[in-house]
Amino acid sequence: MIALYNNKRWKLSSYVIALVLILPMLVMLVGSVSASTKLFSHLWQTVLPSYLANTLLLAFWVVLLALFFGVLSASIITQTNIVFKQYLRWLLLLPLSMPAYLVAYLYTDLFDYAGPVQRILRSWFDWQTPNDYWFFDIRTLPGAALMLALVLFPYVYMLTRGALEHQDQNLFRASRLLGLTAKQSFFSVALPLARPAIAVSASLVLMETLADFATVQYFSVNTLTTAIYDTWLGYGDLAAANTLASILVLIILFVVLAEQRSRSGVTHQSARPSLKRELIQLSVGQQLLASLFCWSLVVSGFLLPIVLLIIMAVQYSDITQLSALILTGMNSLKISFFAATTAVFIALLLGLYQRLHTDKYRKIPLQVSGFGYAVPGTVLAMAMLSTLGPLDHWLNRAGELLGFSAPGLILSGSLFAIVFALVVRFSAIANGTITSGITQIPQSLDYAPASLGVNLLGSITKVHLPILTPTILMAWLLVFVEAMKELPAVLLLRPFNFETLSSQIYQLISNEMLEQGALGAILIVLFGLLPIVLLNKNKERV
Amino acid sequence: MLRKAFITMCVSLFCLITFSSSASEMVNVYSYRQPFLVEPLFEQFTKQSGVKVNVVFAKKGMAERLAREGKYSPADILLTTDISRLIELRDKDLVQPVNSSILSHAIPTQYQAQDNTWFALTTRVRNIYSAKRLGRIDLNYEDLADEKYKGRVCTRSGKHPYNVALVASMVSEHGEAYTLNWLKKVKKNLARKPQGSDRGQVQAIHQKLCDISLGNSYYFGKMLNDKKQKVWADEVYINFPNQNNRGAHINISGVAMAKYAPNAKNAQALMEFLVSKPAQELYAKTNMEYPVREDVAVSKLVASWGNYNVDDLALEEIAKHRKTALKLLDQAQFDL
Amino acid sequence: MSALLSIEQLSITLKERNIISMLNLSLNEGDILGLVGASGCGKTTLLNVIAGFIKPNGGRVFIDDHLISDGEHCLSAEQRQVGMIFQDYALFPHLTVKENIAFGLSKLSKAEQLEQVDRLLSLLKLSDYRDSYIQQLSGGQQQRVAIARALAPEPKLLLLDEPFSNIDARLRNELMLEIRQLLKRFNTTAIFVTHNKDEVFTFADKMAVMVQGRLLQIGAPSIICQQPNSYQVADFLQLGSWLPCQVKHKSAQSLLGKVTLVTHDLKQEDLLYLLVKPSHLRLKVSIDENSYPNAEVEYISVTEQGYHYYVSSINDPTKSELLSFYKLSVYSDIELSLKQKVTLSIRPHEYLFFSRPD
Repeated sequence: MIALYNNKRWKLSSYVIALVLILPMLVMLVGSVSASTKLFSHLWQTVLPSYLANTLLLAFWVVLLALFFGVLSASIITQTNIVFKQYLRWLLLLPLSMPAYLVAYLYTDLFDYAGPVQRILRSWFDWQTPNDYWFFDIRTLPGAALMLALVLFPYVYMLTRGALEHQDQNLFRASRLLGLTAKQSFFSVALPLARPAIAVSASLVLMETLADFATVQYFSVNTLTTAIYDTWLGYGDLAAANTLASILVLIILFVVLAEQRSRSGVTHQSARPSLKRELIQLSVGQQLLASLFCWSLVVSGFLLPIVLLIIMAVQYSDITQLSALILTGMNSLKISFFAATTAVFIALLLGLYQRLHTDKYRKIPLQVSGFGYAVPGTVLAMAMLSTLGPLDHWLNRAGELLGFSAPGLILSGSLFAIVFALVVRFSAIANGTITSGITQIPQSLDYAPASLGVNLLGSITKVHLPILTPTILMAWLLVFVEAMKELPAVLLLRPFNFETLSSQIYQLISNEMLEQGALGAILIVLFGLLPIVLLNKNKERV
Repeated sequence: MLRKAFITMCVSLFCLITFSSSASEMVNVYSYRQPFLVEPLFEQFTKQSGVKVNVVFAKKGMAERLAREGKYSPADILLTTDISRLIELRDKDLVQPVNSSILSHAIPTQYQAQDNTWFALTTRVRNIYSAKRLGRIDLNYEDLADEKYKGRVCTRSGKHPYNVALVASMVSEHGEAYTLNWLKKVKKNLARKPQGSDRGQVQAIHQKLCDISLGNSYYFGKMLNDKKQKVWADEVYINFPNQNNRGAHINISGVAMAKYAPNAKNAQALMEFLVSKPAQELYAKTNMEYPVREDVAVSKLVASWGNYNVDDLALEEIAKHRKTALKLLDQAQFDL
Repeated sequence: MSALLSIEQLSITLKERNIISMLNLSLNEGDILGLVGASGCGKTTLLNVIAGFIKPNGGRVFIDDHLISDGEHCLSAEQRQVGMIFQDYALFPHLTVKENIAFGLSKLSKAEQLEQVDRLLSLLKLSDYRDSYIQQLSGGQQQRVAIARALAPEPKLLLLDEPFSNIDARLRNELMLEIRQLLKRFNTTAIFVTHNKDEVFTFADKMAVMVQGRLLQIGAPSIICQQPNSYQVADFLQLGSWLPCQVKHKSAQSLLGKVTLVTHDLKQEDLLYLLVKPSHLRLKVSIDENSYPNAEVEYISVTEQGYHYYVSSINDPTKSELLSFYKLSVYSDIELSLKQKVTLSIRPHEYLFFSRPD
């Protein structure tokens, strides 16, 4: 369609913002050029192949498990006649609020040799030592994959469920009239049609997995992130670390682009989603099995961990922790607030730029600004220091030349660095949410204000923003929660005397003392629940 | 309108951050040491001197951050948990010498740099913990490679600075080839892949997953004082290795002044405070460490573990072999 | 009376395709122009150019003697005082009926706004829905709100993009008449786009037929129907069926016989097409020596006026294939069966010949 406006200032700011958001990645790429090959050949001959293999294996297992959990549960919820569906429908979203490292810690605690499960088993069967019986070891690659999948599958569930629910019911009626059973129709019509949504969610899961740092570290599964850390902090070779990071980012970008390419033009949305769907009738046994599957996901992904946390909190919390908690909590809220606000503002600016402007390349700022999602927090923090450090120096030198006192590290040494990193990392989430909101506005609404004598600014403030309000809120909350959970970027970029809930919990976890931080962990989870509840409400209404 | 509001918000935020921290008397610390270990000391210092202490803590990357920040870094003082880190800071020209008679008199010469660029605050032994069920045993680090411990050894990641330093001391003592071979054999003896913290290894002994583990001395004291972890610690003996030969490997926690320290005077005051008797006593009492001052006694609990001989290998030697140690760990695929 | 809208030599290229080329149009104040054409012919694009949503590549557009667009400069849409009613109405879902109508009135004072809104609400019989949201209204009511909203700022020119296509057929005529009256009352100049010529008869004063980016004919609807100026115009308006004829001297030879031409400077020996309306054809079934069958029934339907047949020429190898005709439309009271042979002849009338564009 034809876009309306060509606002020069808007155009300029869109491109500048997009550039600023990928600047850290560019700096990283440039920095990797000077990498020495010597360290590489050492790494390649020793540990890198297995790190790489671990990375790929982990990604493979997490995606596979998340697809299995997510697609199956979404199918059960939308297509079958199991009971308590109305509850399971939103309960299945809850694991999204759990940071993976938290779940990992809680389950290790639970299933370790000294944990209650094995203790009980030992007392039942009168086993004495670990050699008397076999019990699975959770601190392994499959264990890490399971933990990640348990908290990431809701992405798959959410998008697949959405796709299945928005399919045109007449397609199934047609399929039934053509002689297929409800079950056959599901496999030959519904599932193939949901493929694009499933692919999107799988790529989300993949990116989250590759960006994970705390879980794999806790489970001592060495991945590419470990290698980056080692080269940077162990061998002190930033250039080589940049190269590894660039490789990781390129892998992710490749996957993302492949995914986008594969689903270009295959979108399906119905105008008649409200028609009553015909459910697959399961036998009692099957219903039981299906319910068990869904409930076990809910229990293991959310209910059990939160109960464990609450027990810990009750046992270990005292009043002195509370004041510290309030302080760190405020810090978390503060950075998440700024990050979410900035990300949403940028998403609106770029999203509406793409929608309303005549520029032939108007999609580019939006696409480019989302790249940061694929960059693990550690890598991002590293890139951020490399980007903001020199910038600060330049500013200080300029300040001195002009006769002012040097302002110090106003960019890399302040909250700016953290907020910037969070915005770079989570812009994609805001962009995606806002863009999907914008596409739902009929194009004619862009034109109508102009035909009534209202200019661009009026049109945006009086039409687009009010219509987008729920979307904006949702995008804001999603970024807010992700920012609350984000760990590595925060760890490395903190200014003085600054702890957040996640950094505190991480430190306690790495000293095997999560009990002390249980309250904070519960707080993160509670905040994580907010957008889920809202998301669900929104979905119900539409 | 929205844009304007947003810009004002951002600007005011930056002002808040940058200028709120520029209060008059203060000292800025980049710390590898965990906050709960050093915060009581800082509180004491502030009470005494009126100088506010600002801290950023991270287990990793503080030195890299300092390097990136360069000339304009706000950091005055770096606290590390490991000698290698201190030497690295000096080699990268990120620290400055501090000429203080208080420091040089309080600290034994082997625990401070000849050029006054770094100073130790406490020492810690890399102990070997053994399960009480084995009875009292006498161990050398070399024994960890002994085949009779196959499947019975636990440790945290080989790449952790504490272990790297131990490996570096092995390189210095026995040479590269021996050390690589030793690492490979230890690796074969591991009950499980290196993981977790030093405390986690003791927990594993408690869980009967393994019988011996590597760990720093003060963790033992810390665990005995934690209601959940006491049961783990009760399962093990703390052993001082190599008592019949070169002595136990020790490492230090130390301090250095950043090259561009903006509050050098306060920084020096803090450093001097940290080696003062009251501070050293606090280190000994609450952190269960060995104070670097010879005239300050260790805590009762630590004293109960007995006296021990120390490997008198120069600390700088350990730092020198650090990168070799890292490469050997990779070659032995120790963490895989 | 000077023209309210005049367009000179307008051309538009989008994505390297010529959408509109060298188009001229002028419209007097108070006129309602119905713009018809097949889908994709450029009608909506033309509206968008006039509204200011698309920048033309060349040509000039004047509204009320003000130049609003030439090849380089373009007055932005919101400054043109051109109103538009969109195919999907483009009503703001987050605003009430009242707020929608007042949307373009921000320059007026609150009291004036209120007055104007109330006037339009009562004119369009929407007073009961003043505070309703758009989703709560029926299609026809939404259409009224759209009209009220577009008329509220009193635009110099109103553009309507297929405004009736979403309205129930039974309601449509009534609504069209009502809106036409309203436009006349406001003396609003309007251009209205449709692909349905019947809407033009009901709604417009003037009709313009657009084919492939060009305006072929403009005039009163009845004149265009009686005197279409080209094959495309007649064909698009479905004014009749086509009978191929070979023109020689003062006569034209077809498979239905020869017709004599009175005055015509038609190109000789050309293959031309005679426009034949059902009323121009006589159909005979009984076969005698004077009349032999020249057509057969291809398709039958029943209407209130009797039977409606499509007849095509009989395949006859002796006759020129060029002249064979296809699906001439005829009405008759006689009941025929499929493939039944019949004799057709042409009643004398004012013959209209056109050459067919390739």
